[in-house]
Amino acid sequence: MKLSLSSVKKWTVVAAALTVLLAAILVSQLFFSKTSAGYEATAWAMGSYVQQTLYGDGAEDTATDVSSAITELENLISWRVADSDIEKLNSAAGTEWLELDERTIDVLEEALSVAEATDGAYDPTILPISALWNFDSDEPTLPEKEKITSLLPYVGYEFLRINTEENTASLRNHGNGVDLGGIGKGAACDTALEIYQESGIDGGIIAVGGSVGVYGSKPDGSAWRISVRDPEGKAEDGLGVLSLKEGCVSTSGSYEKTFTEDGVTYHHLLDAKTGYPAESGLVSVTVVHESGAISDALATACFVLGIEDSLPVLKEFGASALFIDEEHHITIAGEMEFEQISTDYTVSRQTL
Amino acid sequence: MKSQFPLFRKRDILVFLVAAVLAIAGFLQWIPKSGTPVAVIEQNGKEIRRVELSSITQPETIVLEGEISVTVLLEPGQVSIVHSDCPDQICVNTGALTRPGQSAVCLPARVSVRIVGENNSGIDGMTG
Repeated sequence: MKLSLSSVKKWTVVAAALTVLLAAILVSQLFFSKTSAGYEATAWAMGSYVQQTLYGDGAEDTATDVSSAITELENLISWRVADSDIEKLNSAAGTEWLELDERTIDVLEEALSVAEATDGAYDPTILPISALWNFDSDEPTLPEKEKITSLLPYVGYEFLRINTEENTASLRNHGNGVDLGGIGKGAACDTALEIYQESGIDGGIIAVGGSVGVYGSKPDGSAWRISVRDPEGKAEDGLGVLSLKEGCVSTSGSYEKTFTEDGVTYHHLLDAKTGYPAESGLVSVTVVHESGAISDALATACFVLGIEDSLPVLKEFGASALFIDEEHHITIAGEMEFEQISTDYTVSRQTL
Repeated sequence: MKSQFPLFRKRDILVFLVAAVLAIAGFLQWIPKSGTPVAVIEQNGKEIRRVELSSITQPETIVLEGEISVTVLLEPGQVSIVHSDCPDQICVNTGALTRPGQSAVCLPARVSVRIVGENNSGIDGMTG
């Protein structure tokens, strides 16, 4: 068989075309998988697991900056950290006003705003009681009733005074103490979102424990999808998915930190009025708000308040919430894009 | 004098070229991309193990010693924390992880197990 010149040319053209096509497919695939996967970073801070996924230029440096900024914030606002602003404030309780870092003052101000609006359902001055229960330790214990009764009078947000012009704060009486555990993770999300905004990345999501903050957009431009955990842990994909374009979402659940003594299970969401774990018929509350700190504190407050008393508070802050009660019912209050997955729960909506 | 039977004819070279391109393309496809689900096990922020889920053929148990000891079970296509000395057992109750984006965390032991890779589940984060 003899190959003519024209058929050689034909083969050359076919081969060249195939090569170009394959090269194009490969390059586009490599490029696509790179951009859509995002940069992931994990760390430990605020007694929580911190996860970030960032898209766009400078993702790695930005993630590192965020990790350091959150550790810095923790070293300012954790009462457990020696020489932190809050440790100093607590030590100086009943004596003088202290000048504190602006970041600490900001968080204290946000904490007070939620405490005042909820009449102390969320109370940053819960430390005398929360330290007694010690839910963050390896061995939390059921305190003696007398001990709780004797320390309850020291809890009250009105004992915490701040001066935002001079960045000073004080606790009125010896024995008062601030615990920002119910707002710190949300505040950490705010810190992250600020840095994302300044960095020029395209988009990012941060989760500090149960608080999540989102910024910018994903490569495909779709909304951020955040799964709401099934309190019973049965539904692998969670109860459902919440879509968020911007802002933060936080959850307070009675299943998070618990211990059982004499057949009774105690959870960490303490009612500042009684000194005991709150009983409002709820299992968890998820709150969406532009501020992480506010969403975090509101989640605690709404858990303590129960659905009905939470509604006016949510309206006041322009927040929305998802309540899960002990009867396996989900109540969504306000505007929230929620797509149900688990069929073990019924859902109803409530306008604010 | 030109041979009647050259080692390669022009046509053969072209066939070789196409075959080579196809082979390279196939090889690149076979190389794990960032999209392949990979289980990452970390303790105290340090990576202990990174394993492609699809490469696991038989169950393997990893015991992470520490003040609070945690046992991780790697199985074909999934990973789970099966034991922890921690009081709350949230990590164990999380169950098996199979898709990118999922994670199981034992806070008291500072151990995390997560699956990274191209996120096809459509979930970006988790609250609760």
